[in-house]
Amino acid sequence: MSKLIMFHGRECPHCQVMMPLVDRLEKEEGIKIDRKEVWHNEKNADLMRSYRDIIEPKCGGQLRTPSFMNTETNDILCGELEYDKLKEWATR
Amino acid sequence: MKRYWRCHVCNDIHYGIKPPEICPTCNFKNAYVEISSAEAKKIQSGETEMDKEKFRQAIGKFAEKNEFQVNPNQEKVNMLIDGIFSCEENHWMKYCPCRLITKDFDEDLKLVCPCNFLIHETYKDKEDGECWCGLFVRRKNE
Ligand code: SF4
Repeated sequence: MSKLIMFHGRECPHCQVMMPLVDRLEKEEGIKIDRKEVWHNEKNADLMRSYRDIIEPKCGGQLRTPSFMNTETNDILCGELEYDKLKEWATR
Repeated sequence: MKRYWRCHVCNDIHYGIKPPEICPTCNFKNAYVEISSAEAKKIQSGETEMDKEKFRQAIGKFAEKNEFQVNPNQEKVNMLIDGIFSCEENHWMKYCPCRLITKDFDEDLKLVCPCNFLIHETYKDKEDGECWCGLFVRRKNE
């Protein structure tokens, strides 16, 4: 499993906006971001919930999608982001 | 703590800390008596249909007299309604498709759509405010 995770929802519009940026980032930087859908996959949902204490304080007190998590540093970003901000999170 | 109340005249059910002084259905004053949740469930067990189209109409009507409206972007709304209904199919309630439930029922009631998005930082004090998912957007002044 990559240390970088994107928790997303199939019917979440913010996630749809971010998907092409994640594709681009993986291609340009040669990194892997694990995409974990949480509304149709209970295992992924449980994984996201297991990081609740880390994600919620950075995401308005909720488990919002999309949430980007670095499991080594616990760096979190959520919502729709500029490409550069996402890149900075992924390559930090 | 919230409890169930029944209008002794028309059997309207109210769930709240206290009952309404005037029953909104039959207009009777001081008509509510406290009942158990089991009684409330029995009274409310009559099936009512709520398919996607009806939900769309319900949220449209809900927004009608408010400072917000349903997002005019139909494609986005359709996707969100699909998500809301699949949440209901898999998790019993019309949960928000852009936030994950915690499995704490009371906490997750805050995620039932429409939620109290007026307090979301994406809406509050924002001219182009919208709920976290963008299902509702602030109405523009014409
Ligand atoms: S954020 Fe929008 S779509 Fe999500 S529950 Fe609230 S009103 Fe519904």
